[in-house]
Amino acid sequence: MEFAATVVILTCTYALLAAGIVILYKAGRVVNFAHGELAIVGGYVFYSSGLMAGDESLWLAIAGALAFSIVMGLVIYMTMMRRLVGEPFYVAILVTVGLGIVLKSAILVIWRAERLTIDVGVAPALRLAGGASLSYMDIVSVLLTIAFFAGLYLFFRFTRLGVQFRGTAENALLASQRGVNVNFVLSLSWVIAIMAASLSGVLYGGRAFLSTESVTIGLAGLTAALVGGLDSLRGAVAGAFIVALAQYLTVRLISPVLSEAVPFLLLLVVMSIRPWGLFGTLEEFDRV
Amino acid sequence: MKRLVLRSLFTALVLAACALSANLASAQNSYVIGYITDLSGPLADSYTPTWEGFELYIKALNDRGGIGGKKIDVVLDDDGLKADRAVAAAKKQVERDNVIGIFGLSLSSTQGPVYVEMRKAGVPVVTTFSGILDALPPAKPFSYSAGVVFEVAGEAIGELIKNIKPNGKVVGMTFDSVGGRAAISHNKRMVESLGYTWDEVIFPVTTSDFTPFAQAAVEKKPDIVVGHYGSGQNLGVIPALRRSGYTGPYVVASYGVTEDTVRQAAQRAGNDQNVYYVTRYSTVYDSNPAVAEVAAAQKKYGTSKPFSSMHLTGWALGRFVESALKACGWPCSREKLDNVIQTLKVDVSGLTGGPIEMSPQDHYGPSYWRLYVWNESAKKMEPKGDWLKKTALKFPVQ
Repeated sequence: MEFAATVVILTCTYALLAAGIVILYKAGRVVNFAHGELAIVGGYVFYSSGLMAGDESLWLAIAGALAFSIVMGLVIYMTMMRRLVGEPFYVAILVTVGLGIVLKSAILVIWRAERLTIDVGVAPALRLAGGASLSYMDIVSVLLTIAFFAGLYLFFRFTRLGVQFRGTAENALLASQRGVNVNFVLSLSWVIAIMAASLSGVLYGGRAFLSTESVTIGLAGLTAALVGGLDSLRGAVAGAFIVALAQYLTVRLISPVLSEAVPFLLLLVVMSIRPWGLFGTLEEFDRV
Repeated sequence: MKRLVLRSLFTALVLAACALSANLASAQNSYVIGYITDLSGPLADSYTPTWEGFELYIKALNDRGGIGGKKIDVVLDDDGLKADRAVAAAKKQVERDNVIGIFGLSLSSTQGPVYVEMRKAGVPVVTTFSGILDALPPAKPFSYSAGVVFEVAGEAIGELIKNIKPNGKVVGMTFDSVGGRAAISHNKRMVESLGYTWDEVIFPVTTSDFTPFAQAAVEKKPDIVVGHYGSGQNLGVIPALRRSGYTGPYVVASYGVTEDTVRQAAQRAGNDQNVYYVTRYSTVYDSNPAVAEVAAAQKKYGTSKPFSSMHLTGWALGRFVESALKACGWPCSREKLDNVIQTLKVDVSGLTGGPIEMSPQDHYGPSYWRLYVWNESAKKMEPKGDWLKKTALKFPVQ
């Protein structure tokens, strides 16, 4: 029970990160190497916004993180990514690497590299067999992740904008010729991706802590996305589950020291057998 | 002819400027010392308060008129927790700033290279908070520590846990680092020699979630868990252990861990009463004149970080510097300062259990360690037992 709960919660954190990476890749063919930094900065913004009114306010924290996601998404797309349309794909990758460095520096400058924890709903809510417990935050994190993926599914499947999004992902030029506002769709993809990353950062800050070192969770998200397939949301969840399970089993059955290395080993295996990931499409891979 | 006059005039001006700068250097009217630490890297949170404590002491000392009317100028450099930056800063301080000694330093990994370079330059280096084996007997020249040597800390913690439980199983947790493994190795041998059984969980430095590691520790059925790492890991591990069903004693080894971190961790773990803290220097909750003096200075000059035991550690190093410079006299050279430090005994009563005392063979000296327990209802730490004096390592370094 304890084992299942831990793997599910870890899966949620990684799945949110992987989903953002997949959305950005599907929409604009960008592999975002700054996703961990965006997640952790989102967590920091959540924390700081909550304190803004002098008294800790959860609503203010949520509003702050949402505002950060929207503003950051628009700024990144309009000032950087929009200009890179037509450029080789690695240019955008390099830009995201640079963005990651800038965001990490922002943590140093704005938050003075302070280690912060997000102590919302940390009290035990559910006792498990063997004395372990789940906090309200743990339960909420699972529910929020389910809600996020359900919302994405409904959005892509049943809304006009979702259809436009899928069209843009399929063929941006054709979508543009059919009257789709491609810039709006691509900006939206950044906003959604950063929103998911921020949520993941908040959940991470609740389970562990936020710091400049925490940005490495982006690697777990990227590994999950690559294992699942860079263009598959279903793959993002599957990849996240596989990475979380591999980490957990390594800690418990092999050696805790190897727990961060094993997901990468897994990635190497998947990439050598099925380079487009477990749920990715070969065509997408060939395009890259 | 005119050109010759101008050229002579120019040469004379250059020579005059050189002579003036030489005079300025020799007429330096203050003690110039260097301080290097991590102010922007991953452990800035732990090292900044130590620097601030040191700075408080020097400010107060200068306001009192310095030493024999000479002020102390501190050249501060940030190593960002990188060894190459620390070495570059040390060389710069020696060659350009003309410092007579270097103090502070950050993680053990940055100290080794600085010690080596400064040995070549003949500059005494006194570290605080983290310390490495170079300072222990047989000590290497110019390498001193007034802080925490992990091997010593591991043994001290091993001895102090008898104040918690006289026997049982101890599970040590650390992350995969040189310092962590050193501490855990000596902790293990000490507790085993005292009749406890031992097991350990070592996890990677970059860890996404502490829960699986905490569960691995809980599975070993510990009676006491000891955490050998910094602030962030404690914030993650303590709640994770409690979530995993472990309610027994947890010992925080104070490697830059502040009282505020313990408070936060205890709060996150559901107002935990069973959290202990082992430190070389006092906590801010100790009621004695030495701590009150630092608190007053903190109020007067201000600090960016919450007042903590790390400030007391930095303050103790400040007192060490004052004693060393006083004994060195004026003018004080690097060689003279090194000679003085080799037999220095500094009274830091109230800040730790006894004096900081160096000898030519032992550049660390006896150190004093104390166990505290977090009292959640009083929101403070309370000492559990007296100071433990550690004079030498009981077990050889592996």
